[in-house]
Amino acid sequence: MSTHHPTPDACIACTTCVVNCPVARATPNYLGPRLIGPAYERFRLLGLDEEKSLHYCSNCKNCDISCPHGVPVSTFNMMARADYCRTHKPTLRDWVLGHGELLAKLLRPLPAGLKNFGMLNPLTRKVLDKIGIAADAPLPAFAPARFRDRLAGTYQGMQPRKIALFPGCFIDIYDPQTGFDLVWLLNRAGYEVIIPREFSCCGLPMIANGFANDAKANAKRNLRAMQRMQEQGIPVISSCPSCVLMLNQDVPEFFPDLAQTCTPHVLDAQAFLLDCVERGELSLEPQSDFAERVVYHAPCHLRAQGGGLPGYELLRQLPNIHVENADAGCCGISGSYGFKKEKYAIGMEVGAPLFDRVRRSGAGLSSSECGTCRLQLTHGTRKPSVHPVSLLRRTLEKTA
Amino acid sequence: MSRTTDILVVGSGMAGLMAAIVASGQGKRVTLLSRGCGSLNIGSGCVDVLGYVNGQAVGGQPLDALDSLPERHPYRLVGKEGVAEALKTLCAVSARHGAPLKAAASGNRRVPTILGTLKPTCLTLPSCRGELLETASSALVVSVEGLKDSHPALVTAQLRRYPHLAAIAWHEAHLENPIPGAHRNLSPLDIARYVESPEGTAWLAAGLRKALRATPADVVLLPPVCGLSNAAWEAVAAAVPVPLVEMPTLPPGVGGLRLYTALKSELQARDVDVVENALVTEAECDGKHCAALVAETACGRRRFAAKAFVMATGGFMGGGFLSSPGEARETVFGLPVLQADGSPMPARPEDWSDQNIFGNHAFASAGVMVNSAMSPLRIDGAPALNNVFFAGRSVGGYDFASEKSGNGVAVATAWRAALSACAQC
Repeated sequence: MSTHHPTPDACIACTTCVVNCPVARATPNYLGPRLIGPAYERFRLLGLDEEKSLHYCSNCKNCDISCPHGVPVSTFNMMARADYCRTHKPTLRDWVLGHGELLAKLLRPLPAGLKNFGMLNPLTRKVLDKIGIAADAPLPAFAPARFRDRLAGTYQGMQPRKIALFPGCFIDIYDPQTGFDLVWLLNRAGYEVIIPREFSCCGLPMIANGFANDAKANAKRNLRAMQRMQEQGIPVISSCPSCVLMLNQDVPEFFPDLAQTCTPHVLDAQAFLLDCVERGELSLEPQSDFAERVVYHAPCHLRAQGGGLPGYELLRQLPNIHVENADAGCCGISGSYGFKKEKYAIGMEVGAPLFDRVRRSGAGLSSSECGTCRLQLTHGTRKPSVHPVSLLRRTLEKTA
Repeated sequence: MSRTTDILVVGSGMAGLMAAIVASGQGKRVTLLSRGCGSLNIGSGCVDVLGYVNGQAVGGQPLDALDSLPERHPYRLVGKEGVAEALKTLCAVSARHGAPLKAAASGNRRVPTILGTLKPTCLTLPSCRGELLETASSALVVSVEGLKDSHPALVTAQLRRYPHLAAIAWHEAHLENPIPGAHRNLSPLDIARYVESPEGTAWLAAGLRKALRATPADVVLLPPVCGLSNAAWEAVAAAVPVPLVEMPTLPPGVGGLRLYTALKSELQARDVDVVENALVTEAECDGKHCAALVAETACGRRRFAAKAFVMATGGFMGGGFLSSPGEARETVFGLPVLQADGSPMPARPEDWSDQNIFGNHAFASAGVMVNSAMSPLRIDGAPALNNVFFAGRSVGGYDFASEKSGNGVAVATAWRAALSACAQC
């Protein structure tokens, strides 16, 4: 990775990113990726004031995915947002959305029922709406205990190999069940799952909401743990595509000085499971009579990684699962974007083709690796949405 | 990690998509690797087959003019029957997904563009039947207020200069902006997306009818704003009493997006694996046999193994070639990029282009030399690889800009390369 400022000059203004930007499709108030990213970057370098529609960028990275010339469009946008927020303090709402993990830590003494009642009751939702979190947005509920704490007290059997899991906030705070489904599969493949203590929020919500310094502090902690794992020869995996992309690609781009100390290398957990299957460590022979029709949704941040769709590939190898790839673009939530009051309608408009595809498929549920994509899918289709590893476990675990 | 597929196609422009469609149509397991989504989706959606040979316009059937091309030209290598079959395949696939491409009865057609030129092309969507203009005695050129790069006065002033169009009574009109207060300059794509909605369809049909009541005409020329689907186009066309002709524009061209969407739908229907954002940088070869390609991804280097490979990686612009003064190489296998006659690129960079913009530019027809199977050749003419085939702009020996042959050569070479790859597995 280059330690220089990325150059906007690779952009030839071909408009491919404009065609593929889901936000530009949903609202004419966004100048669009080409102009806000590489084109406006030249003005920024001259010291001009920020363009007023920068905040519309959802950081979904469809510009980067579609660009034929490798221009890091979303990086320009996020770095510009970080710069802007150095002089223009982000709102309380943006702090809340950028610091889900810290918030969960602060609320830790409260039982989940109380927390959820406190956060999700209609009155609080009205208050949250007042600070800018859309009243209709599908906020996740807190789990009774954090995944990492519960995993620490779980016996995983005697396993010949070790693997480090970067859980990601979604699994850690809201959705431990998905984490345990992944652990079940990894145990079955002969891996004991450990979570290094330092692993914290990957920092993507902080970057997206303009808290670059906080993101850098987290990156430092995460890289420290990653370096220790690398020294011990323990691979690090994550089942959350956004965490993987942030750690592997965005951290070195945003904080090149940190990446000089340790090159982050997180493997996609689903790609790792496919490797386990190939190495003969994990059999995909169904052990239950679980059968289902499923629509798979590829998170944008998985598509941006360049490794294909290993989660979809896993599902396709299960004989009892009839899976089709929705291939209908961004779901519109983009992490915390779709929760914002002024962005909620845009998010729903962005996701409309996907929701339509899921509804018309006739499938009973959808599946996606990204936690917030699953929230949005459930919200937009009224059908449950699960992580591919959960479907894998339901297929491979013997039913009593 | 090496999950093997039958055929790995690299590139998602016209050639890559077409190769993947043809190979999967032969029952092969196909994976398509892309870095960026090519330029088909920002183009006009017109498939030029052969517009000019040596500067002379090809008026009738372009396939009849193939014999006058040089022997090393990709069309000559694919052969006339092959080119015809490839184009037929494209027409069938695009029609299946709501983007029915067709040629004019006479073969080539000339489509009026937003800059007031006549673009020679062949297969187009139903909205680009430029020949409708040639029998009209009056024409209304319509734009939308606030629409970027769309000026009816420019179009009429330019088209009048063509002798056979000079007698037409030219009129101009502007429709009211349906997206007022937008923060950005509106493009035809913005309007087309609006027209895709029922209220947008009604807005455009009513606006055009009103404009025609004020200024009757035999034909309406307008930017490509008639929706994104064929259904929207048909609804608008049926609601207006005279024929409509959409003019190709600067990117984004809308027509290309319609065609791109149709070809992607075919890939989806065939369950072709598409790996996005993977930059292929290296090949693992044992002599003339390629075992796998290696791509740079966010999770590090990744190996993609296959039995055969189709490279549709583009030329200098698309990233398929790397150049340095006096030399050009194909990026993945390091194959030499040669001039159209098979000779090395000129040593002096200034000799890569011609002073005359319409002259013969060495860079424009440079590329990987191939045989009739689209198998790449070494500089001495011997096959370089056994199970790797090239298609599209990475193939040398043609100049798509001066010939008006870009998409046609992409389709023809992709068809041949895909069949050659299928024969390997």
